[in-house]
Amino acid sequence: MSTPPGGRRARTPREELAEGTPHGDVYLGRLIRAQLRLSLLGLCAFGGLVGSLPLVFLLFPSLQDLEPLGVPLPVLVLVVPLFPLIVVIGLLYQRRADALDEAFRDVVSHE
Amino acid sequence: MIAAMAVVAVAAGAIGLGVWGVRLARTTSDLYVASRAITPWWNAAAISGEYLSAASFLGVAGLGMKLGASVLWLPLGFAAGYLALLFFVAAPLRRFGSYTIPDFAEARLGSPRVRLVAAAVVLTIGGFYLVPQLKGAGLTIGSVAGTPYWVGVVAVAALVALTVALGGMRGVTYVQAYQYWVKTFGIALPACLLLIYLGGLPERAALFGQELPRAPAGGLVAKLDSAQQVEFPEAARFTLDGRAQRAAAGSERTLEGRLVLPAGTVVPVSEGTDAERGEDWARPVERTGTASPVFVYSLLLATFLGTMGLPHILVRFYTNPDGPAARRTTVRVLGLLGLFYLFPAVYAALGRVLTPQLYVEGQTDAVVLELPEAAWPGLGGELLGALVAAGAFAAFTSTSSGLLVSIAGTLSHDVRRGRGAPAGEQPVERMRRFRWAAVAGMIVPALIALSARGLDISVLVGWAFALAASTFCPLFLLGIWWRGLTARGAVAGMAAGGLVASIGIVATLVADPDPTVLGALLAQPAVLSVPVAFLTMVGVSVADPERPRSTEETMLALHGPEGLGLEALRVRG
Repeated sequence: MSTPPGGRRARTPREELAEGTPHGDVYLGRLIRAQLRLSLLGLCAFGGLVGSLPLVFLLFPSLQDLEPLGVPLPVLVLVVPLFPLIVVIGLLYQRRADALDEAFRDVVSHE
Repeated sequence: MIAAMAVVAVAAGAIGLGVWGVRLARTTSDLYVASRAITPWWNAAAISGEYLSAASFLGVAGLGMKLGASVLWLPLGFAAGYLALLFFVAAPLRRFGSYTIPDFAEARLGSPRVRLVAAAVVLTIGGFYLVPQLKGAGLTIGSVAGTPYWVGVVAVAALVALTVALGGMRGVTYVQAYQYWVKTFGIALPACLLLIYLGGLPERAALFGQELPRAPAGGLVAKLDSAQQVEFPEAARFTLDGRAQRAAAGSERTLEGRLVLPAGTVVPVSEGTDAERGEDWARPVERTGTASPVFVYSLLLATFLGTMGLPHILVRFYTNPDGPAARRTTVRVLGLLGLFYLFPAVYAALGRVLTPQLYVEGQTDAVVLELPEAAWPGLGGELLGALVAAGAFAAFTSTSSGLLVSIAGTLSHDVRRGRGAPAGEQPVERMRRFRWAAVAGMIVPALIALSARGLDISVLVGWAFALAASTFCPLFLLGIWWRGLTARGAVAGMAAGGLVASIGIVATLVADPDPTVLGALLAQPAVLSVPVAFLTMVGVSVADPERPRSTEETMLALHGPEGLGLEALRVRG
């Protein structure tokens, strides 16, 4: 820990955080914003892939007339592949969110 | 008879596991240590077990048979709701350590008044969600034991109130995990066997709505216990209590008694089933009706954002030891729910061919229960029928006991605390009040359920989701991610969102408007009420001169990763 020549020793990020100093708030604010960005990214991924489906079916009605395997395409799409897709989005999010927490821990503990 | 035995076996298994689980919790004495022993998989199965209610087990297939593919958005939203919970709520709320929604509201915003408002919303949502569970009970017990509808409602309401009051199946992770597997097995095995046995999907044309459902070879028998208004899409000859009759195409008749339709006759439908016949049935999106884009998006929004606000789900997350574990558990919940939701659609499609009498009787919610015996008359069908009955029983008992625990806890704890009652109270007295609250909390939903036989289970549940999405969802999203939320803003936002959603629901119940754009907005108000709630909450908070104190500390508690050792520092400093 370095001690500035003329004054008292600089506080570590951990102490800043615990005492709620303005510096600590900046650290925390950065983490919250990073996590929120990640969550909104996940939301966009879900919204883009699943949320756009009603519009796609509405705008291209011919899709609704296809019948692969004897089942109408929209029924097949809604029942089978979307659930694994949601799990994959969830899994990717979970890994990134844990990594953000880990990075924050590193910054706060080692600086 | 076999079905009744299966139901008893499931209940006995749950009670046995409950006793074992309680003993386990006692021997480890420390709840925190006990929760460490529970892996994310167990937790995920328990959450799914509590979540999969009569709406998922009976309602999705029933509404699907009635309205067609537009209903498939419903299970998608039910599952995706956990994605919203994962993104915005799971880890921060676990770290924060409030066990109920009113607890969170008061701790975050520092106002007992917010707790009282949140408690009122918990009671409303919980009550709304209990009604369809009891309707499922009336149907299932009626189908198993041949009793009238009210017997099942009253019996299960009493049973659940009793077990919750006595502290039975309540809150034990292993019991809820077991219920998940009972449900999934109960719906999956008959569905797989049906698909294999029937060689895929039989009579595709009728299944996917290329034509109207017809009476099968050998004729169709429908039992109309009470006078039922029925519409004949095509001219038909039939017998009613043995007397031959005719109906012209498009005519409406009020019928009562034993209706027999000769083979090949187009099946008449009860009032309210009219929308999705013919080829519309296979289309998840249409320009009008219950498949119109407004309706579909509003439903997706309500389920996506409403899941996080269901009072009985949140409390389950505290058996996770920390924030990252809560995330891992939620991802597994997504997988388990996805597995379950593969199957209801099979019943919806096959029901159109194998049990069309439910269209006449207006009881499509019973399709999951009736289908196995319709497909295999004889012992095999009876055994599989017993399996689905047991699954249905697990569905409505697990969800309704979870709900009743939340309702009773809110009645006996939050409402009192919100009024500023003293906290120092004997545990014995608190337990006694909880027991009375459990009994009292069941009475109103049971009375409503007795008169709600004509309403679809999934429609009722959809409204509970819409209410949750318009009240608790903005409270969580803004409370967790925005420092600026104030107590006044939260109260105003919840009141505004709840009011708009309630107006739509009540108007639909009273007036039953046509499914035009306005009708769709009333019947499925989330697309309107959610933005209203968010805007009110933000607007009032910004204008509010009073800031909650210690927001920084709260934010650190919500978002600070584990393992920083801040508590130790704070004690020293």
